[in-house]
Amino acid sequence: MAEVHYYDLRHVTGQVTHIDIDNGVVESAGTSFFNKAVLRVLNRAGWGVIQIDNYTPATGKKFDELLLVAQKLADITEEPVVLGEVPHGVLPVPPMKEDPRDVSIEEKSLLLAEVENAALHPTVVNRRANYIERIEQVRFTDSSANEYSYEICRSGFNVLAVASRNGNVQMGYERDHSIHGFDLRHRQESGKKAAEIAVALLDAGAVKGGVMHAVLDPELAGVFAHEAVGHASEGDLIQEGNSVLNGRIGEKIGSENLTIVDDPGVHEFGFDPVDAEGTAVSRTGIIRKGIINAFLHSRESLAAIGNGVAGHARAMPGEPPLVRMSNTFIENGDATEAEIFAECKNGIFLKGSRGGQVDPGRGIFQFNAEYGYLVENGECTRMVRDVSLSGDILTTLHGISLCGNDRKMSPGYCGKGGQSVPVSDGAPHILLLNAVVGGSGVD
Amino acid sequence: MRWWVAVALIEELIREAEKSVDEVEVFYIEGVSVSADLKRKKVNLATTSEDRGLGIRTIHKGRIGASSTNNPVQWRECLQAAVASGKLATPQTWEGLPAPVSLSDSPLSFDPSLKCEPAIARDLVGQMLDGAAEHSADVTGGSASLSVSSVTLANSHGVRYVDHHTGVSLSLEAIYQQSTGYEFDHSGFLDGVDPYKVGERATFFARESDGGQDIPTGSYTVLLSPLAYAELLGTVFVPALNGRSVHSGRSRLASSLGEQITDMGITMYDDPLIPRANGSVYWDAEGTPTRRIDFVSEGVLRTFAYDLKTAYRYGKTSTGSAVRGGFGGLPAIGHHNFIVDGKRDALTDERVIYVHNVVGAHTANPMSGEFSVEISNAFWMENGDLQTPIRSAMFSGNVFDLHKKIAGLSRETRAIGSFILPSIKINDQRIIGK
Repeated sequence: MAEVHYYDLRHVTGQVTHIDIDNGVVESAGTSFFNKAVLRVLNRAGWGVIQIDNYTPATGKKFDELLLVAQKLADITEEPVVLGEVPHGVLPVPPMKEDPRDVSIEEKSLLLAEVENAALHPTVVNRRANYIERIEQVRFTDSSANEYSYEICRSGFNVLAVASRNGNVQMGYERDHSIHGFDLRHRQESGKKAAEIAVALLDAGAVKGGVMHAVLDPELAGVFAHEAVGHASEGDLIQEGNSVLNGRIGEKIGSENLTIVDDPGVHEFGFDPVDAEGTAVSRTGIIRKGIINAFLHSRESLAAIGNGVAGHARAMPGEPPLVRMSNTFIENGDATEAEIFAECKNGIFLKGSRGGQVDPGRGIFQFNAEYGYLVENGECTRMVRDVSLSGDILTTLHGISLCGNDRKMSPGYCGKGGQSVPVSDGAPHILLLNAVVGGSGVD
Repeated sequence: MRWWVAVALIEELIREAEKSVDEVEVFYIEGVSVSADLKRKKVNLATTSEDRGLGIRTIHKGRIGASSTNNPVQWRECLQAAVASGKLATPQTWEGLPAPVSLSDSPLSFDPSLKCEPAIARDLVGQMLDGAAEHSADVTGGSASLSVSSVTLANSHGVRYVDHHTGVSLSLEAIYQQSTGYEFDHSGFLDGVDPYKVGERATFFARESDGGQDIPTGSYTVLLSPLAYAELLGTVFVPALNGRSVHSGRSRLASSLGEQITDMGITMYDDPLIPRANGSVYWDAEGTPTRRIDFVSEGVLRTFAYDLKTAYRYGKTSTGSAVRGGFGGLPAIGHHNFIVDGKRDALTDERVIYVHNVVGAHTANPMSGEFSVEISNAFWMENGDLQTPIRSAMFSGNVFDLHKKIAGLSRETRAIGSFILPSIKINDQRIIGK
């Protein structure tokens, strides 16, 4: 067997419990099990990767056979991969306040039904609530004898309310997910809020698109940081030449008061005790006072382009790691919410998020708010629905003129390369001048 | 696990399940795949995978339970979990899983010559790079993957269906200055993809979209490529045809049966039996024989899609529309080959805005249909020629309403996932300039 320069193996076992309640009917509830591993090997050139379903830890000859399969596969690769030197280590997973495994699925079902029931309203035609709990046991080993294992449980719920009147159909959606344990008790407020928003949106107007000042709430401003800056700072994209931030370290692309950070080590929904290639995680200041400071890296992208730290490789069970965000946020500034609205004067206030997307090579991003309000003379007035923002990474960030002092993180999932991983995004309230707002309203 | 081992296991599982529940359904998939991924112009990563998974659904006194595992040997634990899950479900009207019928066993989307070999994936990547060299843009990434899989569906009424699938999928990304291009292709057949063209189109769009000009906000005639159209159709319109959404109040089309919901020239249907099409299959994920479903005929909404569960609950008949995303979870309502058709034209005479792709379609409002997305690789088009590229703009509207303003369908169609679509020309659409 030819010499193996490097290998690593990430084995994840676990279980997923879900409950789906739709208009009072328990549609499905139960638990499923999984066991997946991914083995990566480097010898002469690039990666040979085997994805193994239902992996039984192998040693000696059996493991060598797996290495051989991966090596043979790597024969078709051409690009020599160099791995950066990195610190190793694993952070403790914070203890849970209440372990969901100690709560019966019957009780979970009743608690979820309370949330769903709280969305009852004469104008609400559909209520749907889902609970999801995912427990993963992760074991990592590599050819340098690094070995880590940890267990993490992520659980949470979402509730949807659909209101309908004369063919106008609108929705309200609330969710919460956590690494801190069972979070389904006393959450009726979420169901109630989903219903209130859905009903209120029946009377909301469509925005006439155009350029205007926008106040973003912490959740939406977090998504803005994720889409406008986070993805474009991912080292693999930089390495491929597919990011407008390529070669721009030290360049000023935003206003003085803008600092954007990704930190897998903080105890939010994107928490990673150790990254997917065994690197100790640490904080990366992507933008510091408006200046591009560092990129997010895996060992491979760190060695290829530098400027930043590794520890940002993440993977779904059984999938090869990709450079990903974890907990991404805009740092607090010193403005109060009142100052932000006063400064905006006339524009739009946008709340909540239905997600976003970015073309990092072109530097164009789009993201969508759940709803908003027109701002007139510094006051929120008429409610509006279906508002998107789009922008240009290299110019839009100059428009962040004020950052509040009330940063809040929101949990979510982020997709890249067919893999979805848990993340959180956050920010304080921010004021974005001359935002490009899309809406279907016309004169 | 060997195939015959799996078959023996399924028989044993069904016998065991029948002791405690009225009915049981077993869904077993097995597959292998191989792929080659590019970093710029060089293969950087080669992957292979072998997957197998077992999904069990039990029905007892109208209570439906399910569980899954990717360790089929542990089927007993999985069966227990399925039965336990059924005890939590609210009982519903249930008239039984399908009995077996005689169906063709020659697969519709299977290429016996397709082998999961790394060298073939490598060769496909090479052909894409050859095509990419036609235009002066840089390749940033890409991938070629091959897969072979088999699906077995069995139930306690004697259904034992097996289907085989093959797949090849290609993608390439390119950049020129600050202009990106992306192209892909997929088929069940190795000769059904054109790797050279994938490469050529990716660098073409990157190169030709450079130097785009701004566009003033206003109302325009827009020509959506099949790709851009599929993004909007898949996020909003098709989910509104789902019978479960309809009956539970989550579809804007719920009360529109018999009404005109699109331009009179438009027909929309699901045809699961097209030879060589990606989604073709003789039986759906619950074993109901598939058939053509005409959702929209000459602009009028005719029917919705149903699986067994939804059909039994609301007094309808399954349309054979059950699909599974994998072996886990319950079957859900979907489609096989969703087709938009109507009178075809050259669509080349007047000056229109051609939109090749959109950014952010998944943020559209699935209930109301409203969307505002960023347009990608958009051009002014006249007499069928792409002219000046448009730098950046948003496209805002309503997916339901724009179907009433369709002014034409192109002659050519393209398969995008499980959609087979023409380009569509739509009048009076709002573009927001910057």
